Amino acid sequence: MKHVFGNKKAIATFLLPALLIYLGVMVVPAVWSLFLAFMHGNPVRGFEFTGMKNIDRLFSDPQAGHALWFTLKYAIVISVGQIVLGYALALLYVFVLRKASTFVRTLVFFPVVVPTVAVALLFNRMFASSPQEGPVNAILGLVGLGGTDWFADGNKAFIVIVIMDLWRTMGFFAVLLYAGLIEIPEEIMESARLDGAGTWRLVRHIVLPLSMPVLLATVIFSLNASLKVFDSIVALNNGGPGYQTTPLNLLMFKTAFSFGDFGYGSTLALVITLVCLTVTLFVFRSSRRDLTKD
Amino acid sequence: MNLMMRIMPRRASVPIAFAAVTSLLLAGCSGGKDDAPAGGAKEFSVLVTTENTQTGAMFDGLKANQCSDAQQQLPYTLSQTPSSEMQSKVQLLGGQNALPVMYAGTQSLIAPKGDLQVSGQVLDLKETFQKLGVLDQVTPAAQSVIEQLYAGSFPTVPLQFNIEGIFYNKKIFADHNIAIPTTLDELTAAAAKLKSEGVTPFVASGKTGWTISRWLGAIIYSQLGPDALQKVKDKKAKLTDPQYVAAAQKLQELGKYFIDGITNLDYDTMNAQMLNGSAAMMYMGTWFLAAVNDPKQSKVGDNIGFFGVPGIKGYPANVGSPNAINAKLYNDGVGAWLTCIAKNWGSESLKKQGTFSGFKVNTPVDSLPALTADIQKKIDSAPASVLWFEGLFTPKANNDSSANAAPLLTGAMSAKDFMTLIQSDLDAES
Amino acid sequence: MTAINVETAPRPRTGAPRRQSGTLAGRLTGGLLVKLLIAVIIIAEIYPMFWILTNSFKTKSEIVDEPLWSLPGGLQWHNYVDAWTTGSLGHYALNSLIVTVPSLILILLLGAAAGFALEVMVWKGRNAVLFLIVGGMMVPLQMVLLPLFTIYFNVGISDSYLPLIITYVGHGLPLTVFMMATYFRAVPRELFEALAIEGGGPFRAFFSIGLPLIRNGLFTIGLLQFFSVWNDLLIALTFNVDSKLSTVQVGLLHFSDEYGSVDYGPLFAAISITVFGTLAVYLILNQQVMRGLTAGSVKG
Repeated sequence: MKHVFGNKKAIATFLLPALLIYLGVMVVPAVWSLFLAFMHGNPVRGFEFTGMKNIDRLFSDPQAGHALWFTLKYAIVISVGQIVLGYALALLYVFVLRKASTFVRTLVFFPVVVPTVAVALLFNRMFASSPQEGPVNAILGLVGLGGTDWFADGNKAFIVIVIMDLWRTMGFFAVLLYAGLIEIPEEIMESARLDGAGTWRLVRHIVLPLSMPVLLATVIFSLNASLKVFDSIVALNNGGPGYQTTPLNLLMFKTAFSFGDFGYGSTLALVITLVCLTVTLFVFRSSRRDLTKD
Repeated sequence: MNLMMRIMPRRASVPIAFAAVTSLLLAGCSGGKDDAPAGGAKEFSVLVTTENTQTGAMFDGLKANQCSDAQQQLPYTLSQTPSSEMQSKVQLLGGQNALPVMYAGTQSLIAPKGDLQVSGQVLDLKETFQKLGVLDQVTPAAQSVIEQLYAGSFPTVPLQFNIEGIFYNKKIFADHNIAIPTTLDELTAAAAKLKSEGVTPFVASGKTGWTISRWLGAIIYSQLGPDALQKVKDKKAKLTDPQYVAAAQKLQELGKYFIDGITNLDYDTMNAQMLNGSAAMMYMGTWFLAAVNDPKQSKVGDNIGFFGVPGIKGYPANVGSPNAINAKLYNDGVGAWLTCIAKNWGSESLKKQGTFSGFKVNTPVDSLPALTADIQKKIDSAPASVLWFEGLFTPKANNDSSANAAPLLTGAMSAKDFMTLIQSDLDAES
Repeated sequence: MTAINVETAPRPRTGAPRRQSGTLAGRLTGGLLVKLLIAVIIIAEIYPMFWILTNSFKTKSEIVDEPLWSLPGGLQWHNYVDAWTTGSLGHYALNSLIVTVPSLILILLLGAAAGFALEVMVWKGRNAVLFLIVGGMMVPLQMVLLPLFTIYFNVGISDSYLPLIITYVGHGLPLTVFMMATYFRAVPRELFEALAIEGGGPFRAFFSIGLPLIRNGLFTIGLLQFFSVWNDLLIALTFNVDSKLSTVQVGLLHFSDEYGSVDYGPLFAAISITVFGTLAVYLILNQQVMRGLTAGSVKG
């Protein structure tokens, strides 16, 4: 029987097409780009080898330091938010709404369909302070807190970014996690119910462990996507004011393409990749360990 | 079937593509191909930003009428890329020697010592226009701006020519008994009076940062003279010098007269504030005339006026975004197009779009709106023009200045920090 | 999960004996709070939809000058005409489809096969390969643009749809393979082994057991990949040399002018057409698939 699932030819047929395209489109260009991290130049001028110059610059570049810090802050807040909200919604679909969940599921999924430009415009208007006060400031004014210019300060702008991105993506994560939940065999849930497990105990002891593989895959996906955040921030406030809400990925893009410095841009990309790698390794390891336990 | 043809590339099929990719990878990094067609361009291909609808419309008109001969020699084609991506597109195409005949380069790439200039992809237009016998069609003002901007060279076709200054609401000025200010102090006093009487004196857009940083350039010129920014470029002065920092502080003092919530205010909202009569003044270029003359957008009729920034002789001027000509594709057909553009663009652009270009107006245009005619007169009689704040900056300095303009204005960033940041960008990339 | 099951089952010891409803949350928190929550969610999602739709009927000055919640003064149908003509929406939508459909099929088919090879098939080094593929999720896409552009250009395919399709597939595979492997892990191994005992080969195992059992996940990933390809702007912008091949998202950029001014009315009309169009397709597909799924779960 082992030889059926150890059939080399079958493995090659299953794996090679995906692997080759993946290598050609992602791995080779990525490695190619990482070589540029040790060079200076752009595609028009060509590249010259400059050794560790870009790396040295990295360590003395306050903008890069700030961008790294902002990226980490953003990724942690967003990933926690995406997973918690997404999981809560998925539980809501499965246990409360059940068969009627299609409508709500579609609604919550809807922002994924909307172009980022439109979402950003909406949130700009929601949080506007002038010339027309947006609804958020209006409500703050009603409860006596007074409106504020949300975009004049990096910390306040961060709040808007978080709310916008969670609103935009939570439906996506809910669907991803929902697919994991509905795979749990009904008999297991049913027998747990017969045992009189309360909702929270049912979720904690039955549902959570059984949906763990999908949950962990989602965590890894969420972290990797949020560490590379780009277009939503570009569309909302272009990383402003100043560079206060500029993530690494945006700084990298600007450096390479707008400032024509592909070498240093590649160095910043290297940082992003390393951060993602570290984070993923960490999650991957803990997930593998957990899985072998049960 | 037709669909399949579109999916499949003209020159390769999938297996060949993969084989080729592999061989390319084995060969390591590949340089650009150096096989520009022997006879130059086969078509008059034009690359402009997606946002630029004017150029395309103008070419469509010209190719059917005035330039039909050139069109017959070399058919015109247009491709567009959003301005935010133009820089990367031009670099990617330039790296493969695949730029079209006319392309929207970036200033730093097509200037002398710029990468495209060095790799021989930028045509010297002064020489070309001279050879074609149409150099006299370029207005002296446009030529002077180009030569200031590009260190004496002439790498861009001046399809536009704009002057910048302050657009103001005549009715608001009259209602509040304000005369057109002639000094910065008068301007400040006027703003203070308007503010105390409940009118927004200035509107600008923090999201489109140059609408604020242009004020800084204006103040610098007005207080330190017309060569103040050239000195910075030539390293004879630094933006961190006390008099430059003082100019930034001056802008900060004006900050309280700008509209509230400016940081993320967008360009359209800014314009609308001027066009619906809520704001008294706005620093802007003459391309704004298109909106002023459009009754669908403007609700204030002919109540908009224009005056130069107090204290500057002449006006900050620009020639729009660069339009370079690919030297490697130049041939007689391209020459025919350039000749036709030089002779006809000026009057056509004024007639069709109501905007100014760097070419002479050969057929007089009647019935111009009052403000347009007034500005035309100002352009014609203006002494030498100056550049704008970021005119001579590197791309990074340009970006940083724009991104931090709102924090500077609101006081979130100090004048010294702002100038230090821009100066360090200038130092790093020269 | 059916109501009959709950009712015929002995009453839970901790539950309230009188309550008829079988929903767990109802038992625990009282339905009101949950209903309120659902109402909030629905409003938070429907209002923006409504906002986009109303904006598509406004004039530019209504959008810019008036408060967010104001309603259009009249119905500006010509916004839709402008969107269709200026935006060449129909043409771009066709381009988007030509690019999206093959990409999606390839991503799902190749991704599921690779996931099967990495999770169900038994061989040395499969964890390492899985991790290599997961690594693709870490590479910032912006970074592979320059090398890819160079490759496509030199291979001579830059004036076709191929650069987009190849890039979408390569970029979509890491997540897909990873998720597929995860889904295959949840399939009881005995099912595959039983088939092997009957004499079935790995291909039969993949097509007649593997794929049907993960069709749920396949649908989910298909959905996610569809929208990531459909909504992509960066790849489409970089590799589109010929504007005739532009996709919808690139087309949406045609509504702003050189100095940053946006033609909001037609832009929102174009967004409405694409958003509600894709939503309709999604709803129809979803219905079909859900029917298939429930039919499947009766058997299981």
